[in-house]
Amino acid sequence: MKHFVPVTKLSGTIAFSFWALVLHTPGPLAALVIIELILLGFAGNIARNVKAAMSLTVFAVFLAVVQLLGGGSLESAYVTGLRMLAMTIVFIILLTTTRLQDLTAALVKQIHIPYEYAFMFTAALRFVPDFIAESRTVQEAQACRGLSTKGNILKKCIHYMGVVQPLMLKSLGRSETMALSLELRGFGNNEHSFMTNVRPAGCDYAVMALFIGLSVLVVYMRIYGIV
Amino acid sequence: MLEMRDVTFHYTDGTPVLEHMNLTIGAGEFIGLGGRNGCGKTTVTRLLMGLEKPVSGDIFLDGKRINDEEAAARSPYIGYVFQRPERQMFRPTVRQEVAYGPEQLGRNREEVASAVTAALQATGLEHLAEAYPPNLNRGEKQRVAIASAIAMHTQYLILDEPTSGQDSADKKSLMALLSRLHRDGLTILIISHDMDIFAEYCQRVIVIGHHTKAFDGTPQELFTQREDLYELGLSRPDAVTLSQAVTGLPYCKSVDEFTAAMLQRLGGK
Repeated sequence: MKHFVPVTKLSGTIAFSFWALVLHTPGPLAALVIIELILLGFAGNIARNVKAAMSLTVFAVFLAVVQLLGGGSLESAYVTGLRMLAMTIVFIILLTTTRLQDLTAALVKQIHIPYEYAFMFTAALRFVPDFIAESRTVQEAQACRGLSTKGNILKKCIHYMGVVQPLMLKSLGRSETMALSLELRGFGNNEHSFMTNVRPAGCDYAVMALFIGLSVLVVYMRIYGIV
Repeated sequence: MLEMRDVTFHYTDGTPVLEHMNLTIGAGEFIGLGGRNGCGKTTVTRLLMGLEKPVSGDIFLDGKRINDEEAAARSPYIGYVFQRPERQMFRPTVRQEVAYGPEQLGRNREEVASAVTAALQATGLEHLAEAYPPNLNRGEKQRVAIASAIAMHTQYLILDEPTSGQDSADKKSLMALLSRLHRDGLTILIISHDMDIFAEYCQRVIVIGHHTKAFDGTPQELFTQREDLYELGLSRPDAVTLSQAVTGLPYCKSVDEFTAAMLQRLGGK
């Protein structure tokens, strides 16, 4: 999967999300989720991806329960949870198999999104793991001063303010430094070049055609009640 | 006494960090912890603080096993000053920042106020009590972090490379503060790559190498008897090298001591 260019993987992400929206019964949605999990297994970094998939599963179960409590049928609860899983796992596959600089290059060169917006999108993605790591460090620093994460949810929320505030201050400082650093290195120029070649090759076009074909097939099967 | 008995630690991917580590920190000691980058110095302190759990082995405080105690539970007796103290600062004034720890321990208002005042006095921060912590310089932030720890009446203070990135005046001032706190009864464990600090201020130095303790003794033993300082990521301080180069001169732990010894030998004052 790492051999495909980002635009192919982006089209795959859109295709899988589209199929998840078109399919409306638990069986085919479950099959879609299983296919995605197999692809995720091939994407590498299994330990981290299993953790992410487990977190998403918890969230999917929560959504399904909310659907059920809100008056929905058991089938609609399954569909909600599975659809949510199908639409999010595919993004993990995209992010695991694509370097962010390649994604930026593809968004600018192939999809013709203005560089500033493409950069903002990928920079935000890059910030997530950094933000999580920083949050962990601040929590440790506060734990050393007696901050306990035990207690009821209200206590936890109050205690967490001691983590959120330094985290926000740190993030603001960091964004400022990053903005300055970008400006000093010519951010905002109209001309951009990229080191990596993200132009689709023959196999990329073939896979994209396959996605289109499968999408047509899924729509056809839905119209005629096959799925 | 803080003690690590046969502690082994490795990350989830199996990368070994520490193996069969034994270590004691007696009350009232001033200990330096050294070694190469990535040798496990910070891991030792994180294990002592409760930020990591040993894979095997035990950690004791005064004979009581504390493996299962979280960092928050250990904070009343072990204070930790991070390399980047600004990470913990979030309150609008230094006074309120220092008060955070005692408040977490559930002390009443008078106790908190008196602990904060004493901690600010001890660290020379009274004049900055109403300052906004993020606006302070690095040395002052270090002092705020130290004040935050001692306001909790901690017995042990662990500092992770507190002098890195500081100029020599700030370094001297910080070390003078730590020496004063040590004289007042605080036990100090300091991680550093600065050999002058080990030689001049520490009573004992522990060096980590090859995933375990490679040396445990006085700075004089370390700098005069060990031939593998370079392999351990250490070097001999200039004052020690100079004093050894002059025949008959005693071991000098600082340049000031060396200067005094030379002047005495030359008949000056």
